[in-house]
Amino acid sequence: MRTEQVDVAVVGGGPAGLAAALSAKESGAEHVLLIERGERMGGILNQCIHDGFGTKLMGEAFTGPEYAQIFINRLTNTGVNVKLDTMVMDISSDRELVICSSDGLIRVKAGAIVLCTGCRERTRGAIRIPGTRPAGVFTAGVVQEYMNIRNLSVGRKVVILGSGDIGLIMARRLTLEGVEVECVAEILPYPSGLARNIVQCLEDFEIPLYLSTTVVDIHGIDRVEGITLAKIGPRGGIVRGTKRFVKCDTLLLSVGLIPENELAKKAGIKLSPVTAGPIVDDHFQTSIPGIFCGGNALQVHDLVDYASMESEKAGRSAAFFAGAGKLPSPSIKVLPGQGIRYVIPHEVSGNEPVDFSMRVKSPEADRYIVFKQGEKVIRRMRQIELAPAAMIRMRVRSDRFQRSLDSLTVEVAD
Amino acid sequence: MNEGNIVCTVCPTSCLIDAKWDEKELISIDRAQCKLAWGYISDEIFDPKRVVTTTVPTETGKNPLVSVKTAEPVPKHLVLDIMDTLAVVQAKGLVNAGDVIVADVLGTGVNIIATSNSD
Ligand SMILES: Cc1cc2nc3c(=O)[nH]c(=O)nc-3n(C[C@H](O)[C@H](O)[C@H](O)COP(=O)(O)OP(=O)(O)OC[C@H]3O[C@@H](n4cnc5c(N)ncnc54)[C@H](O)[C@@H]3O)c2cc1C
Ligand code: SF4
Repeated sequence: MRTEQVDVAVVGGGPAGLAAALSAKESGAEHVLLIERGERMGGILNQCIHDGFGTKLMGEAFTGPEYAQIFINRLTNTGVNVKLDTMVMDISSDRELVICSSDGLIRVKAGAIVLCTGCRERTRGAIRIPGTRPAGVFTAGVVQEYMNIRNLSVGRKVVILGSGDIGLIMARRLTLEGVEVECVAEILPYPSGLARNIVQCLEDFEIPLYLSTTVVDIHGIDRVEGITLAKIGPRGGIVRGTKRFVKCDTLLLSVGLIPENELAKKAGIKLSPVTAGPIVDDHFQTSIPGIFCGGNALQVHDLVDYASMESEKAGRSAAFFAGAGKLPSPSIKVLPGQGIRYVIPHEVSGNEPVDFSMRVKSPEADRYIVFKQGEKVIRRMRQIELAPAAMIRMRVRSDRFQRSLDSLTVEVAD
Repeated sequence: MNEGNIVCTVCPTSCLIDAKWDEKELISIDRAQCKLAWGYISDEIFDPKRVVTTTVPTETGKNPLVSVKTAEPVPKHLVLDIMDTLAVVQAKGLVNAGDVIVADVLGTGVNIIATSNSD
């Protein structure tokens, strides 16, 4: 096998990988290699043709392809080496990658690696819907690719299970293309997508959203002929007498995304059971020194802007590691407290300002997000609206950390 | 006077705004996290607008479709009419992001522009 040597190898050419490769280069890494298995860069953004990308980073709402193009343009002429149609097959804890393309297998020895492999969709198997196995059951992201890239249509009458953002966006997209969207069913008592998408994608087109409702049966032999909906009670059981048949030829699943971390697992990187992404410190370094992670592979983002921002930092840290061989080690563990599902980074050094991102467990109104070390509150911010769908970002200045203490708790409080 | 809660959809933060208005104009808003809310809420009450995004087929490109959008938000009641107009449009020749695909769509003064490349 041929062997190549690089300073920083970035796996994945989506918005996270683009930002990581750019910042690694700008931070002084000489040989930066960006590896993408697809035929073009931009990742999932190529199929997200709606607008609303870039409001935080650029103060303007772009479509997905436009947002990606801005970064692709920035990358041109920087000297970053881009390999398309190339799959990373394996990585090891001593930062060796095996990559595969039409040139065959190549071994890449990297000073540092940034994993930006994105996420994949939960499928029917992952949520165990009973019933037959007819054609016509798709995940929302697959239909997004069929319609927006390949010019394929999927059906005439659609039910969407799950109120995740991609499902909501697809409800609008299908309606605009003349497909009937019967309803969106959400098992939780609140929507899992952003309020913005509820308004623009459902209310604008009078598409009903049924909360505390799920699909309990799928009918049809060759093709979906309908589904059975039912109300779900507070303890998770079907509410008696609420089952009803809905005629449709297509069922779309928008039931969540899971970070794609097959490579991380192979390298033995520690993953969080909550986010399914690696455990990272404030340099976005994983449990294996010199391997970093950002974007949807780390945590599922609702805003691409934040995926870019965290990966930029991961790229910078990787460049630094490739040069110096190490980074300051974290000494403060970050723990999710009351009302918080997770906080990233999982540990910090306290020497630098840190942008934390987190999600709450359930919707709440007019509460505070509080950062505490021991009894001392080091940062507090009022939140008018808190929803699990909306990631919260908060910066803590370096002088606020108490480095003598080994932990920090983040909680929702009055 | 009228009052109600309206979600600002300018950015994904999705602030839930308390708005007060009369027949002619917006009188006050509360709970907005930034200045962009005023214009949006006022439009939303008196003349709601949306950006339309969709795709059109290409003639020669490597990609069967290019994505397009209205360069500005257009009146909401025209969204489906614009989709009908675009249903019969094919992009001619090579297309680059930013190219005008349909000028002044339905007399709105707004162009339909490509947001991706045909190759
Ligand atoms: C199906 C889907 C639809 C989405 N739709 C929306 C939406 O409508 N609106 C919105 O705001 N957000 C949407 N998101 C969220 C959006 O993806 C993120 O904000 C952002 O794109 C994350 O960027 P990323 O670079 O981390 O991941 P991605 O954009 O997924 O990029 C990851 C890249 O890594 C590559 N890759 C993975 N493994 C390997 C490997 N082993 N070797 C080489 N390359 C590899 C992939 O091919 C891909 O190009 C969607 C996500 C998914 C999964
Ligand atoms: S008020 Fe500002 S921050 Fe809030 S949703 Fe509107 S644009 Fe976004």
